[in-house]
Amino acid sequence: MTAAQTTRQWPAKRRMTRKQRRLSMIAAAGAVLALAAGLVLFAMRDSIVFFYGPTEIAEKGVAPGTRMRLGGLVETGSVQRGPGQRVAFAVTDGRSTVKVSYDGLLPDLFREGQGVVTEGIFEGAGRFKADSVLAKHDETYMPREVADTLKKQGHWQGEAGAAAPAKP
Amino acid sequence: MIVEIGHYALALALGVSVIQALVPLWGLSRQDRALAAVGTSAALIGFALVALSFAALVASYVRSDFSVANVFENSHSAQPLLYKFTSVWGNHEGSLLLWVLILTLFGALVALSHRSLPPRLRAGALAAQGLVAAAFLAFTLFTSNPFRRLSPAPAEGQDLNPILQDLGLAIHPPLLYIGYVGFSMTYAFAVAALIDGRIDAMWARAVRPWTLLAWTFLTLGIAMGSYWAYYELGWGGWWFWDPVENASFMPWLAGTALIHSTVVMEKRDALKVWTILLAILTFSLSLLGTFVVRSGVLTSVHSFATDPARGLFILLILVFFVGGSLALFAWRAPLLRQGGLFAPVSRESALVVNNIFLATACATVFVGTLYPLALEMLTGDKISVGAPFFNATFVPVVVPLLLLLPIGQSLAWKRGDLLGAAQRNAAAFAIAAVAALALIAFTRGGPVLAPLGVGLGLFLVLGAGFDLAERVVARASGWPAMLSRARGLPRSAWGTALAHAGIGLSIIGIAAAAWSSEAIAVLKPGERLTAGRYTVVLESVLPRTGPNFRAEVARFQLFSGDRELAPLEASKRVYTARAMPTTEAGIHTDWLSQAYVSLGEGQDGGLAVRLYDKPLILLIWIGAIVMAFGGALSLTDRRFRLAAPRRAAPAAAAQPAE
Amino acid sequence: MMIWAVFAAMTGAAIFALLWPLSRVSLQGFADTADARSLYRSQLGEIDRDVARGLIAAEEADAARVEAGRRLLRAAGDEVSPAGETEPSLRRRRASSALMLSLVPLLALLVYGSYGSPDAPDQPLAARLAKAGAQQDFAVIFARMEAHLAAHPADARGWTLIAPIYLRQGRYDDAANAFASALRHGRASAELWSGLGEARTLAAEGVVTAAAREAFSDALKLDPRNPQARYYLALAQEQDGDTQGAAGSLKRLLADTPPDAPWAAPVRDRLARLEGAAGGEAIAALPEAERQQAIRGMVEGLAGRLEAGGGTLAEWTRLIRARAVLGQKEEARQAVKTARERLAGDASALAAIEALAHELALKEAAP
Repeated sequence: MTAAQTTRQWPAKRRMTRKQRRLSMIAAAGAVLALAAGLVLFAMRDSIVFFYGPTEIAEKGVAPGTRMRLGGLVETGSVQRGPGQRVAFAVTDGRSTVKVSYDGLLPDLFREGQGVVTEGIFEGAGRFKADSVLAKHDETYMPREVADTLKKQGHWQGEAGAAAPAKP
Repeated sequence: MIVEIGHYALALALGVSVIQALVPLWGLSRQDRALAAVGTSAALIGFALVALSFAALVASYVRSDFSVANVFENSHSAQPLLYKFTSVWGNHEGSLLLWVLILTLFGALVALSHRSLPPRLRAGALAAQGLVAAAFLAFTLFTSNPFRRLSPAPAEGQDLNPILQDLGLAIHPPLLYIGYVGFSMTYAFAVAALIDGRIDAMWARAVRPWTLLAWTFLTLGIAMGSYWAYYELGWGGWWFWDPVENASFMPWLAGTALIHSTVVMEKRDALKVWTILLAILTFSLSLLGTFVVRSGVLTSVHSFATDPARGLFILLILVFFVGGSLALFAWRAPLLRQGGLFAPVSRESALVVNNIFLATACATVFVGTLYPLALEMLTGDKISVGAPFFNATFVPVVVPLLLLLPIGQSLAWKRGDLLGAAQRNAAAFAIAAVAALALIAFTRGGPVLAPLGVGLGLFLVLGAGFDLAERVVARASGWPAMLSRARGLPRSAWGTALAHAGIGLSIIGIAAAAWSSEAIAVLKPGERLTAGRYTVVLESVLPRTGPNFRAEVARFQLFSGDRELAPLEASKRVYTARAMPTTEAGIHTDWLSQAYVSLGEGQDGGLAVRLYDKPLILLIWIGAIVMAFGGALSLTDRRFRLAAPRRAAPAAAAQPAE
Repeated sequence: MMIWAVFAAMTGAAIFALLWPLSRVSLQGFADTADARSLYRSQLGEIDRDVARGLIAAEEADAARVEAGRRLLRAAGDEVSPAGETEPSLRRRRASSALMLSLVPLLALLVYGSYGSPDAPDQPLAARLAKAGAQQDFAVIFARMEAHLAAHPADARGWTLIAPIYLRQGRYDDAANAFASALRHGRASAELWSGLGEARTLAAEGVVTAAAREAFSDALKLDPRNPQARYYLALAQEQDGDTQGAAGSLKRLLADTPPDAPWAAPVRDRLARLEGAAGGEAIAALPEAERQQAIRGMVEGLAGRLEAGGGTLAEWTRLIRARAVLGQKEEARQAVKTARERLAGDASALAAIEALAHELALKEAAP
């Protein structure tokens, strides 16, 4: 199909070659994509949260006030319940320990000696204020970062038992 | 013996699907119709064999045959029959078998619809589909075999993950899979068109019902999954931007774009190359979703199967089908002829805009889902991308699309009148804007975005309604004429309006979530807790024994102000076989709003209780159901029901241009 | 053999169905351009109707007609000439038949051969439970009991029977629940109350909790002489730090106990330890490292004694648990193995060992 054919169909004033139309379409798509790319880059700076284990916090020198995720095992014997829903516990990877304070309902599977991921603000000096706590979902599942961290620290004995399902 | 017959049937189905992939292709290249017809019978046989295999697995579950490892690992003899049944797909192996079953079912349906599909297209599509089936059968048999046996057989099973022992599981995965796998059909049609080097409006007309079907089920599946997470996980959240949720959301976005672009292609023979690409991408995203869920590569609150060997296999499948089809696309797409023309302001352009926005929105979700993985591979840094990221990227892309939707919907084909379309929607816009302003004034001090969101949702609902009303009322005088016009409107027009109104309803529900409130306290019997409009009084805490769990049940009385609404029960269950606790939330539906109670740990003789007031939350899912209903209504449009144009010609009499 | 006949029949049926289309003589090529033509013709019709209804302007309708007409012409141009029945087509059919006849059975047998278990019969639970009673293994009877109780949760007698079994298997939470259910649905007895207390105590890893104490005092209300309750209440006193009181209670218990009663020995042990205040407290007082050493020494001692021969279920359980707690997985597995051999005669003890191994995740690398 050529521009000549196009001419036959359309009154002259609305004429627009296929090439031009395609270009305008691409320009529109490009504009939307550029906008989205800008938004993505902007959001990447502000709303992305890094994940660290207790040892990494010490090694990488995470600045106090940083928002982050912290994962590891809940240290046995460290859970202290305060008034109301306040709770304090320690997250450990065997080498280092971070004290976590949290105000809210703990998930069903939160237990001492088990894997946990918390999100919140690192307050410096080994203290962490969590605003959400995720426990592992079932007996054999371990959040991947926690497993990696523990593997690194040599605390990991592999996953025993069958892989367990959750929501598909 | 039943178990082994099922196993053998699955192995046999692998052989049959390989034949289904090879022989019809040969027939196509040699113009030999007899060879191409082998695809038809292979698809039917393949479905029969997989169905037999699935039935054998179901029988093993229902009869608690613990000599089958899969049954032992995922079921318990004390389970109620319904959950024995749903346990079949509540695990990796069984759900894959369900996946393959639905895949072959679609193949069989295509094989049977010989009157509505051009034979070359059908043969090519069945071949492509056979290849997909062969890959997934091999994956199931080699890495995730559900028929592995145990000897000696254990006396009792390990039970299904308690979170999955719920009616939601009975419905959610099959719906989702019909959606995912349905897109494999459009993929197969796209590959067939590329192989053939020919694509036209016939193709679009043949593909559209399959796309609509897949989209309808995917919509329902996602909505069901969201509602299930809402009431089962006990956090009161309904969407977490979790990678697994995103994995089903991306194909939905791409599939929505595909539905719109096939309309353009069918009506106007334009956007061919893009539609083909979109069909390939949609199924690729479905495969990606399967990869994400099955391989456990992503951090997730979900924990389906985490096995690197399986991950590698499914990655190979992903690379083969995505890479192969994209290479085919690059090679053959230039051969496709260009289609019709349209003016910059027209329904076509509006649909192009729709596609641009949807594809971009899909891309932002894609980046947010996969960026953490890429970053970790490159730098070793682990990050989590959550709701803040998607609120900052996905939402700004989608809002303009939704604002433009009612205008695009009322533009004419080929060359539209922007001013006229804007005028037609002025009334809807004005009402929505006034409503939003009134809400802002009324809820002064509350969140500002919520009234705006409600206004947007209202605009969509009214826009869809007015558009429909105008078609019925305009140029018709008197009730009988209007009635006959209403009846004369094609079902797809009703479907479109419903789907768009459904989005509006969901948006209202989502926006209203900003007004929800929650409260947490440790309660002793007799004490009360208030959140928003609702108050609960803890009456008693009782132990209870279920078939395969023990529960601690808390009984509440729910009040709205002083008005006594209903008794409410929430519980914490411990499933004995896995010693795993779950929370069963107590939910009271009050018109479109809900009061939601969930329990935490007991302490100091009291019980931690969380109460939510969730205004209008039901609209989120009602909107999705309305959307799906719109899709289903379009599907029953006469043109698709009797899709062969020969037959459709007389029925098409009542159709104005959409 | 039967199963192979079934497989053969399935394979045959599948291949027959695959070959079927080849046998039908169909000489047409693909003629779908006719379909395309009628689609465009109906589109032309739609345009006319739209004009008639005034939905589109005449000028636009003309352009649309031109376009549809052009597409119609193009569709006609795409027509492919049909291939006739030729020698190559027959050869193709023969080749593809050969492919089907060889590939399908080969692939199926290869895959099934490497993954299937043709000799394994179905074993639905109902059939296994219905099998003759005598040589039924304990686990199956147990499963049947559990199934019965799940269906009849108000059967107090059933709960009374199953509770001690749970206790012996180390499923303390289940045991406590079973005792409580028996009490709720049936007549209370001192034995049930003290059983409940014991289950609660064991579930709390040996600490006599407040709830357990309540249960024991309920038992004593019904039968002030109940030795189990008295023993555990003495233990509670000891845990409270009241060693003197505990010793006193145990002495009184011992005075009421016939010397050949099965529980006399543990009571005497406990008393001896309390009075000597040696054993436990001495170890507890040691510094951490030495304490570990001492515990390990005791475990080794027990292991040595059991290795030499004999050993009751309780002793084996203690050893396995200790090994597991000390992180000596290999030794613990070894102990499980030996215990299985030693206790081979006692089905319920075997089941208890299995349950313990399962609980401590000591199963041999099974998936």
